[in-house]
Amino acid sequence: MKAMHRYKKVDVPFELYEIDILNATDDELIAISEDLGLALNLDEMKKIKEYFKKKGRNPYDIELQSIAQAWSEHCCYKSSKCYLREHLFGIEKDYVISAIKEDSGVVEFDEEYAYVVALESHNHPSAIEPYGGAATGIGGILRDVLCMGAQPVALIDPLFFGRLDTPEDRIPKGTKHPLYLLYGVVAGIRDYGNRVGIPTVAGMIFFDDSYLTNCLVNVGCIGIVKKKNVVPSKVGGVGDLFVLAGGATGRDGIHGVTFASAELDESSEEEARGAVQLGNPIMKEPLIHACLEVVEKGLATGMKDLGGGGLSCVIGEMALASGCGAEVWLDKVPLKEEGMAPWEIWISESQERMMLTVKPEHVDEVLYIFQKWDVPATVIGKATADRILRIYYRGYKVYEMEIDFVVKAVEYCRPYVKRKVKAIDETSPPSNYAKVLLEMLGHPNVASKEWVVRQYDHEVRACTAIKPLQGKINREGHGDCAVIKPTDSWRGIAVTADVNPWMTKIDPFWGTASSFDEMVRNLVAVNSIPHSFADCLNFGNPEKPERMGEFVECVKALGWMAKGFGLPCVSGNVSFYNETPYGAVAPTPTLMGIGIVEDIRKAVTSNFKGKGEVVLVGETFKEFGGSLYCAITGQKSTIVPKTSPRRLKKYVNAMLEAFRRFKIYACHDLSEGGLAVALAEMCIGGGIGCSIDLSGLKGEDYVKLFSESNTRWLVEVENAEEFVKFTSEKGVKAYHIGSVEGDELKIKNLLSISVEKLDDAWRNGLIRFTGW
Amino acid sequence: MELEEIRVAVLRIEGTNCEDETVKAFRSLGVYAEAVHLKQFYSDMIKDEEQRSLFDFHCIVFPGGFSAGDYVRAGAIFSARVKSVLKRDLEEFIREGYPVLGICNGFQVLAELGALPGFDEDKPLADKPEMALGINESNRFECRPTFLRHENDGKCVFTKKIEKGKIVMFPVAHAEGRVIFPRGREEDYLERLKENDQIVFRYVDERGNYAGYPWNPNGSIYNIAGICNVKGNVFGLMPHPERVFWRYQHPNWLENPESPGDGRAVFESVIEYLRKF
Repeated sequence: MKAMHRYKKVDVPFELYEIDILNATDDELIAISEDLGLALNLDEMKKIKEYFKKKGRNPYDIELQSIAQAWSEHCCYKSSKCYLREHLFGIEKDYVISAIKEDSGVVEFDEEYAYVVALESHNHPSAIEPYGGAATGIGGILRDVLCMGAQPVALIDPLFFGRLDTPEDRIPKGTKHPLYLLYGVVAGIRDYGNRVGIPTVAGMIFFDDSYLTNCLVNVGCIGIVKKKNVVPSKVGGVGDLFVLAGGATGRDGIHGVTFASAELDESSEEEARGAVQLGNPIMKEPLIHACLEVVEKGLATGMKDLGGGGLSCVIGEMALASGCGAEVWLDKVPLKEEGMAPWEIWISESQERMMLTVKPEHVDEVLYIFQKWDVPATVIGKATADRILRIYYRGYKVYEMEIDFVVKAVEYCRPYVKRKVKAIDETSPPSNYAKVLLEMLGHPNVASKEWVVRQYDHEVRACTAIKPLQGKINREGHGDCAVIKPTDSWRGIAVTADVNPWMTKIDPFWGTASSFDEMVRNLVAVNSIPHSFADCLNFGNPEKPERMGEFVECVKALGWMAKGFGLPCVSGNVSFYNETPYGAVAPTPTLMGIGIVEDIRKAVTSNFKGKGEVVLVGETFKEFGGSLYCAITGQKSTIVPKTSPRRLKKYVNAMLEAFRRFKIYACHDLSEGGLAVALAEMCIGGGIGCSIDLSGLKGEDYVKLFSESNTRWLVEVENAEEFVKFTSEKGVKAYHIGSVEGDELKIKNLLSISVEKLDDAWRNGLIRFTGW
Repeated sequence: MELEEIRVAVLRIEGTNCEDETVKAFRSLGVYAEAVHLKQFYSDMIKDEEQRSLFDFHCIVFPGGFSAGDYVRAGAIFSARVKSVLKRDLEEFIREGYPVLGICNGFQVLAELGALPGFDEDKPLADKPEMALGINESNRFECRPTFLRHENDGKCVFTKKIEKGKIVMFPVAHAEGRVIFPRGREEDYLERLKENDQIVFRYVDERGNYAGYPWNPNGSIYNIAGICNVKGNVFGLMPHPERVFWRYQHPNWLENPESPGDGRAVFESVIEYLRKF
C-alpha cells in the first residue's frame, strides 16, 4: 500500500473506505490505482477526480472499483472501438435482427426462429489455471447466448498453445508447459461442456511459439430462439425489479476484467489466482432450464448474464441501455462467505449468475420457477426513473453516481504504426515429395484432433447432423464444418472456426483476409450458404504502436472482405494484452463462420466416397508466406496468399450452384499444406485412394502441391467433364485432375503413398505428445 | 392400451441432459411423453397442476447426462434420491410389469438402484448394487459410434422388434461405462445372465466380431453394452438409441436421411409391448 494515508475507514458496521482523491497528487493517484488493483491510468484517475470534485465529496472504495470495471479494456473496448466502427461494423443485411449491440448477435434462421451467436476469449484465466479458466469460459459464453432467451445448441473452441515439443528448460519462469495447458484446457471444456449437455461440435487447435507464454482459449456458442421470445439485454421499464438468479456470490473472480486488461508476468500466477472464477456446470444446467421457462412464459422484460465486472457491469449496462437508473440493496445478494466488503460483492465475477428484470406482478411466478429447479433467485433492486445508480448496504447509502459517467466510459484512438512487409520468396522444390507430405500430416497443426474431439460430447441433444469427425467408423477424418439441425425443419446451421496465425504474423492484412477466405471456403464445402460471422480478436498490448498497427491492419482486412463479400459481423470480442515480457501472441483474429444449410439432407462431407472423379476448383499461385511447407522445410517466404472478396463471391456462387446441379459426393477446402494435404485428408477419411495427374496445370510441381493459395476446393463428382464445363461458363477455373480409386494416394511422377501410411502419420501427429 | 393412452415420463434432476431428445423420440411415435422433475413426485412446493405420481405413467425413463454432476460415482446421487422418495412406488411399478429404461447415466442409476442385473423378480430393487459401471479402460470420457449385436432371445421388452443377431450402430458418450460384476464371481454372474436371457447388446467390430478397444469403447466384461432384468421389463444400456432415431443422426449417412435410424426400434418395441399390455 503506497498511498495508505489516503484511505479512511468509514464509521459503519462493515468494511467501507473513503478514498481521498480530491487531495491526492498525481503520483498518489497512480499509487491508489495500483493499491486497489484498478488498472486505471493517470488521465483516467484525473477524470474521476474531476467528477468527484464537482460532487464535492470523495468516492467510496466501491465507487472507484465500479468505475475501474466499467473502464477496463475488457468491458468497454476503449482501445478498439473507434477502429472497429470505422472498418468493420455496419454491414447491413435485412436478416440480421441484432448485431454487436447486445451480448450476442441475433440473426434470422427461418420465419419462426432466430439463431444467436457469441464468441469470446478466456485467455488470461486459462494461462493461470487452464482447467478452471477454460471451464468458466464455456460457462460465460453459454450465458451470453442464454441471456438473449435462446437455447444453446452448440459450442465451438478455437485453442492456441506453444509448441508441444518445447524443452522444459525453455519454459520461462511463471509459465506452464504447453502440454500441461492443453491437457488442462481440454479437460476443462470437456468436464463443463459435457456436464451441461451442450455439444462441442467445432473448433481448432494451433501450436506456435508465440503462444508459449500466452495461450489463447477462445469459446463460441450458438443458440436457437423463437423470434418472438428474444429478450433484450436491458431493463424492461421503470419499476421493474432486478432478480439475481443462480450461484451465490463469493470472492472468486475479483478483478478478473482488470487482470485481463494488463500483461501477464511471472508474478501473475500468485497474484491473480483469485481472479479466476470457479465454475459449476450443475448449477448452470438447471439455470438454463429455469431461465428458458421464464422466457417461454413471457415473464422476463430483460435479461443479461453476469460476466466481467459482475453486478457492477450488468446493472449499469442494463440501466444505461434503457435510459433509466437503479436502486440496489446489496445486502440481499446471497453470499458464499461472510465478511465480504460491499465493493467485493459488487464486482465479484462468481459464475453461474443471471440478472433478469421482471414486472412486480410477475415476481412470485418467476421465483417459483427458479425454486422448482433448486436455483436460488432473489430480488436485489429496482429500476428508477432518474439516470442515477444508488446502492444501499444495511441501510447505508454506499454509492451514488450518474450511470452515464460510469458506463459510457472512455475511448481512445490509440496511435499505431503499420509494419512494412518486404516481399521475399526463397522457396525451392523439396528433395523428397513423399517425405514432406508425411511430415505435414504429422504436424500437430494438421494431424488428427481425434484425441480432443472424442473427449467432447459432440452429439448430446441429438442435433449434430454432420459431425466433426467424418468418414468410416473408427477411421474418421476431419470435416470442414459441423452441421446442427436445431429445429424440426430440415434447415441446418453450419459452423466453423478459422484463423491462420502464421500468415497474420508475417502480414496481418493478407493473413486476416486469408483467414476470412478459409472460413467461407469451409462453410461452402458442406453446401451451406455463408450467412454471418463473429470475430474474437486476440492481440498484444495496444499501448504499443506496432501492436496497434497489427490490430488495425487485421480489422481493415476483415472489413474489406466482409463488406465486399456481404457477410455481416454480428458479434465479437477484442482481447488485448496477450503479451508478456517474452513477447506477444501472433495477431490472432479468430473467426467463427455461420452458414445456413437449406436442407441438411443435401449437406456434403469431406471424405472420398469412392464413387467419382476428382476436380480441383480454383487457381494456384506461388504463395508460401506462412505456409506449412515453409515450416516443414525451413524455407523462407513472405508472400502471404492474396484474395479478393469479389473473386471469392464469384467462386462461392458457382460452387453453391454446382451443388444443386451435380451429384457431389465429397468436398474439402484447401488450406494448410495445400492440395497435397487436402487430398490425403480426403483419402484418410474415406479409407480409399486416388490417382492424380497434375501435368495439365501450369507451374512448378511443388507449388501445385503445397502452395496455400486461397479460394480453392477439391470435389469428388460423378461427371467431372460437365462439372468443369459448368464452372468455366461461370468464369471459375476448375481442373479434372484424377479419380478416386485404389488404396494409395498416387500423384503422377511425384509421389505414391499407401492410405494406411498417410493415416498412420496423420493419426499419430498429436498423440505422440499427448498419449492416447 | 391404445397408442394415445400411453404416457411416458423421462425423469430429470439437475445435470440430466438427454431428456429433451428422449421425450422427442417417444413423441415422434405418437405417444404422450414429458420430462418430469423428480421433485414433481414428492415436493410440497410444487403447484398442484405440476404434481405427478409414478402411476400417472406407463413407462419410466432415466435419461443420459451427469445427474447431480456425477461427482461421487456416476448415478449414485440420483439413485439415492429416488430410493429415498420413490423406492416403494418404483418396486411396485416394476413388479407390475411396467417398463423402465435407463440410457447411459440412466443405466448407471439403475445399477446403483439395484434394479439391474435384477435377478429377483419379487424384489426388483436389490438391497445393494450388484454391478457397477466402472471408469473406462481409456480412463476418460469418450464420444464415439459403436456397433452392437442384439443377443436377446425375446425377453427384453425394449428390443422385441430387433432380430436376434442383428448389428446396429448406437453412439456412446461416457467416462464410466465398463460393466463390472463382483470380483471373483464374474463367471457366475455371466452364466446367470445368459441362462436368464438377460444379455441384450454386446459390442462388436464393423464385421460383427467381438473385439477390443475401440470397438468395445470402455473395456466392458464380455463386451456387454446393455442388459435387462430377469423379467425383461427393466433395460439399461450405455449407448444412446435416442441419438440415432433418424438416419441423418448416424455418421456417414449417404442416402435416405429421413428413414429410421437404428435406435428407433427400441422405442417402437416398448410401445408395442405397452399396446398389448
